[in-house]
Amino acid sequence: MTRCPKPEMWVLYSAGELADRPRRALAAHLESCDACRREGRDLARGLEAMESLEREPALRPEMLETLQRRLRVAAANRPTRPRVITLVARYGWAAAAAAVFVAALVLNLPKPTVPAALPGNHQAESLQEVAAAIELLRVADNGTTPLPPQNLFPAGRQNELDLLLELDDAGLLLDYLMSQDKLQG
Amino acid sequence: MALRDKDSDAQERRLAAYAPRVYGLLVRMVGNRDTAEDLTQETLLRAFRAFETYRPEGKFQAWLFRIARNAARDWLRRRPLEPALGLDADWPERALASPRRQSRPEDRLLHGERASKVEAALRRLPAPDREVLLLRYYGELAFNDIARVTGEPLGTVLARAHRALKKMADLVPEEES
Repeated sequence: MTRCPKPEMWVLYSAGELADRPRRALAAHLESCDACRREGRDLARGLEAMESLEREPALRPEMLETLQRRLRVAAANRPTRPRVITLVARYGWAAAAAAVFVAALVLNLPKPTVPAALPGNHQAESLQEVAAAIELLRVADNGTTPLPPQNLFPAGRQNELDLLLELDDAGLLLDYLMSQDKLQG
Repeated sequence: MALRDKDSDAQERRLAAYAPRVYGLLVRMVGNRDTAEDLTQETLLRAFRAFETYRPEGKFQAWLFRIARNAARDWLRRRPLEPALGLDADWPERALASPRRQSRPEDRLLHGERASKVEAALRRLPAPDREVLLLRYYGELAFNDIARVTGEPLGTVLARAHRALKKMADLVPEEES
């Protein structure tokens, strides 16, 4: 390297944030360039000066106590979050896809093509996602989201749905919804 | 339920461990220890409530210090008009008090003198340049993480760091070995 690198490169060099190859190239340049050596020295001094500051300054014990108390209160006031919501939050994209699928079922739209031969684990995951999406709809606003329209279920079958929701068995639930969809169709 | 409780405990502990560093950043951003204490609490509570938005693939410190930096900037925007940073006369000494690093009186004195010069030099930097150095030092963030925290291009962050470090080198005498 004959030309001097941009000054910003020396920031990365001095801070140890360069990959091995550019770092070696800059080190080689330093050996033959007084101006860059001065530049590097200045930046290293600036970084060293910062080290005079206490990185973890002492905090007043009363302040820490207050903080811990407020954190405990915040923890106690955290809304209880069913595990299914955690999963939905974590796998939001899959839950969104599942929610669209469920909405299509509920609205009695033409049924999307379901892949016939999903591997066992994937199929189980898909079913769980569908169940999670249904539960999310119900739990997200403290149960005020209505269940699917009553006319989707024959008279006297609502209890079956409630039971299936309680059992939290995604497979049974999906089978039930699919069969009801066929009945309606 | 038990899992959630364990999660909360772990999150509380993790956040509390960062309280001194968050305070270190904030006290130098707002220049007032009482405000910095309030903002430290506000930052950690905000982080606790928003823990779900933290993605494990991102750097935890970057996420946390972004919240702290935003809290400080919000406060600086809202504050009543008054003389600028550094008027809390005793804050450097208090902020620097550390039984661990200053065990002997003579060390404490030397360290305190140099630290005061560093504090004074920091206060002479433009706020955005100072912020880059503080995020680097207290958050131990790489410069590309700092760019994400501040929302500026990496080149701008490096230019700020370059200017700030040169100024620090000019203003703070070399440490005698």
